[in-house]
Amino acid sequence: MLTSTFRGMVANKLRLALTTASIALGIAFLAGTLVLTDTMGLAFDQLFGKVSSGTDAVVRTQSSYTQSAGIGTTRAPIDARVLDDVADVDGVRVAEGSVSGYALLTDNDGKAILTSGGAPTSGYSMAADESLRGDVTILSGTAPSGDAEVAIDATSAEEHDIELGSTINVLFHGPTRQFTVVGTVGFGGEKDLGGSTSAYFDAPTAQRVLGEPGSFDSIGVAADDGVTQKQLAESLDAVVPDGTEAVTGAAVSKENADAVDKELEVVRIMFAIFAGIALFVGAFIIWNTFTMTITQRSREIALLRAIGATRRQVLRGLLTEALVLGAAASAIGIALGLAVAKGLNALMDVLGFSLPSTSLQLEPRTVVVSMLVGTLVTVAAALVPARRATKVLPIEALREATPGEAKVSRRRAVIGLTLLGAGTAGVLAGLYADASMKVFGLGLVAVMVGVIVSLPLAVRPLTSLIAAPMRLRGLPGELAQQNARRNTRRTASTAAALMIGLTLVVSMSVFASSLKDSFSEVIGDKTSADLFVKPSSAQGLGFSPSVVQEVAEVPGVDTISPSGWGQARFGGADSSYSAVDPATAAGLMRLDLSQGSLGDLGTDGVVVSRPTATSNGWTVGDRVEADFAASGQHELHVVGIYESKGWIADNFIVSLEAQNAFAGPQLVTSGLVSIDDGADKAAVQDAITAVLADHPDAKVLDQAGFEAEAGGFIDTLLTFVTVMLLLAVVIALLGIVNTLALSVFERTRELGLLRAVGMTRNQVRAMVRWESVVISLIGALSGAGLGIGIGLALSRALEDQGITGISIPAPQIVVYVALAAVAGVLAAVGPARSAAKVDVLKAVVTD
Amino acid sequence: MTTSTLMSPHQTTTAAMAVDVSKSYGIGDAAVTAVDDVSVGLAQGEFTAIMGPSGSGKSTLLHMLAGLDRPTSGQIYLGDTEITSLKDKTLTLLRRDRIGFIFQSFNLLPTMTAAENIVLPLRIAGRKPDEQWVASIIETVGLAERVGHRPSELSGGQQQRVAAARALASRPQIVFADEPTGALDSASGAELLAFLRTAVNELGQTVVMVTHDATAAAYADRVIFLADGRIVDEMRSPTADSVFDYMKHLGA
Repeated sequence: MLTSTFRGMVANKLRLALTTASIALGIAFLAGTLVLTDTMGLAFDQLFGKVSSGTDAVVRTQSSYTQSAGIGTTRAPIDARVLDDVADVDGVRVAEGSVSGYALLTDNDGKAILTSGGAPTSGYSMAADESLRGDVTILSGTAPSGDAEVAIDATSAEEHDIELGSTINVLFHGPTRQFTVVGTVGFGGEKDLGGSTSAYFDAPTAQRVLGEPGSFDSIGVAADDGVTQKQLAESLDAVVPDGTEAVTGAAVSKENADAVDKELEVVRIMFAIFAGIALFVGAFIIWNTFTMTITQRSREIALLRAIGATRRQVLRGLLTEALVLGAAASAIGIALGLAVAKGLNALMDVLGFSLPSTSLQLEPRTVVVSMLVGTLVTVAAALVPARRATKVLPIEALREATPGEAKVSRRRAVIGLTLLGAGTAGVLAGLYADASMKVFGLGLVAVMVGVIVSLPLAVRPLTSLIAAPMRLRGLPGELAQQNARRNTRRTASTAAALMIGLTLVVSMSVFASSLKDSFSEVIGDKTSADLFVKPSSAQGLGFSPSVVQEVAEVPGVDTISPSGWGQARFGGADSSYSAVDPATAAGLMRLDLSQGSLGDLGTDGVVVSRPTATSNGWTVGDRVEADFAASGQHELHVVGIYESKGWIADNFIVSLEAQNAFAGPQLVTSGLVSIDDGADKAAVQDAITAVLADHPDAKVLDQAGFEAEAGGFIDTLLTFVTVMLLLAVVIALLGIVNTLALSVFERTRELGLLRAVGMTRNQVRAMVRWESVVISLIGALSGAGLGIGIGLALSRALEDQGITGISIPAPQIVVYVALAAVAGVLAAVGPARSAAKVDVLKAVVTD
Repeated sequence: MTTSTLMSPHQTTTAAMAVDVSKSYGIGDAAVTAVDDVSVGLAQGEFTAIMGPSGSGKSTLLHMLAGLDRPTSGQIYLGDTEITSLKDKTLTLLRRDRIGFIFQSFNLLPTMTAAENIVLPLRIAGRKPDEQWVASIIETVGLAERVGHRPSELSGGQQQRVAAARALASRPQIVFADEPTGALDSASGAELLAFLRTAVNELGQTVVMVTHDATAAAYADRVIFLADGRIVDEMRSPTADSVFDYMKHLGA
């Protein structure tokens, strides 16, 4: 049996190649995304974790509320005098205070060295004791010492040609300072810390420029030989003052690792979704291919059965074939996955959306998961058709039958339409009847599955629609049409793969287009600013508050209203907040306060959004407890309720003064600028630009420029998502090639007959090509329709989040559909060629 | 050119002709000669049967005459056209416009109705079928009631009659039939052969048929006997008995 299995596999090389390719591509994506997430995981680990190796205990202030990252989530500083007490504790070999903070490097020309992917630009104190430096090593030069020396990460130095001994500016919260670069720093074999930039100073300098003199962020302690981390932490805990704690190095590492995990969760889920889509589409094609090949081989199977092979033997043979194929293709897929990971990384770099990265990591887990998934999906996809094939009575299969006729079963129609109806109801309920988001999400999934299940019902009408203009193509067009509708289930499942890809691409375009629309609305209608001061990089965290002062003094500037952003816990729930200047915000932002006033914010007021106020039952005057990482719990009072989200999308607004008091000094995230009456906007913008020459972390934009920048950012994201989904589309196209190739093989006799009675090779090729176009367009049109629906539903669902615009990018969608048709033509090239090559005699002569 | 006066290509009554045609497969010692130096002319308006035992090369000869296969050496003429040297495209168009086919089985496209199958070659050519003509053929083959059906809904005999109607629909110069009754019961076979006979008698159609059935050959005006790739004899106005006797003599 095994021999016949392998003979069967090798017999049709094309079939084998196409099936292998579709499995391998699906797995390549899965493996690629796993590799990429592991790589990023390592990068984040480096960023937060490994740096602390060598530290046995950490002394730091206690905090009721901490978060791994985000603005304003660091703990309160610790008094420098604690260090002396710590150093005297038994078992302490060495203890040093450390400080970190915002430090933006500039290159030799004074331009900011910006990071991508939201990686921080940080400054650190460099421990004098090497074991306390963890993985941080001096690659060249020396460690910094004194108030004019800095060591920078090797990547920044190399990429910007900053040589040892040269002088650069470094930007801080406070005034910009000049430093001499005395060393470059590496991190456990990497030249940067997960894509971020790093500046190292000696501890006193770091205190001055990053924190404040007389305090540290935390104290790192290394133990004497023979003293465990636990013992050390316990003896330290006994001496440190109230409000301070000592924890083991291992505990800090674990906290960091957990934080990394949390940080990566979103990215991991996103990639898993893309991989899932690719695999789902891949499984479709594997299923399709196996169904067709097994149907074609039904005579061979019947013959085996007729000469005495049991059903079990035949089934085992077919499943072994699937198993071997699945395993081999998965192995190829893993190899391709490394290339995919590299490609995705490069792609994200090109798009300016790069994630913190390091060298590619192929974990054993990736190999195991990819092999298992690829093999299991293949075997599962082969199981149903294989069972079906072995159920057929031998003699039935030996009889000649019209190839590939099949009718849509009633059961399928009922199930498909029921799902579609229930799903639509769920989505509508989610949008208009206050049903939960879960109902909405399940509804979307049900709609999608319903459409896939009932797509065969739509094949005939869609074919007629598509074929109307094709009638002009004469007989080949007509035959193509007939062939496409001959087996509606096969056509549908081939088209479904493309449909899924297109649905996702189109829904994302609709969503992005609505987002852009909303954004224009937000900056046009929700602010009255003439100019906008923004961080230089679209992903930059913010700019120094000193920028605000300087811009305010530019002639022609009437007001600049700065705002900040951060994360804290309000009323017991983690949330983001915006911080505004109460004096100027009301004039420049249209928040539509229905109660209270921004002017009452003070240092203990909070303005909450209408939905949050409603769900918590808050009104003006109510008390809200807020926890900040740096300062613990504070009691705030609701001083206003705002109705109009948009410029501010957070549920809580506090004053900048309160933010500084509770979260420590923070970067400004934006500044809205109004100009004097009669001032020339362009001239003022130029003047601000001139002032910002000394502040490379900020730039000024007018409304059009801001819209273009935000639109560009959305487009970049859209491009990224589209490229990711394109892989699913490519797999879908392979599926079309597969279906066509197998159909051609199946219809050899028909093709021979057509050729015998006078159809030219060109006409045969045209026939196959048009069939391909019909299938592609069925997928593209249904995908576009479904995608528009889903995109609109998503946009509507996020209306509360400030997506108020609805827009369908019609030209873009038309282009997608047209491209699908062109892709259909391309997919048909190979199959059309083999159709035209059919040997007339072999086909028409009965053997 | 080695042509005898009898088989001049300019003789207007010759519908098709083979001149010194050989066909062999394989090379060297392994070569098998299926058709060995055959010359034959097929008269216009005549019903010719080609007979011979299995492996005699009768089907290969028919395929070469019909432009479906190329001889290893020699020439084939269809009317005045020498077809052995034609390019695939020209040959395809020639088959489409000037030749009708009936194969042993699988003559029809399963996705098309009988009526659509009948006008298939015309549709391929992009020509408008002559409605009256097509209707009269359908009438003659006795399928008027079944033309809207798909092949899967027709009996084997009906399918072959649809194939015959298709072969005649484009008014070809010559109709080639390759064992057309091979898959039919005797009653259906007789109906089909009677139809072909009528086409020759009443429409002046030229028909060439390969068969191994003496009864079928008896419908023809002339029977050509092949053995081991060579023409060994021929018979005019055959009867089933005379053909049967001769075949016994050939040792089939």
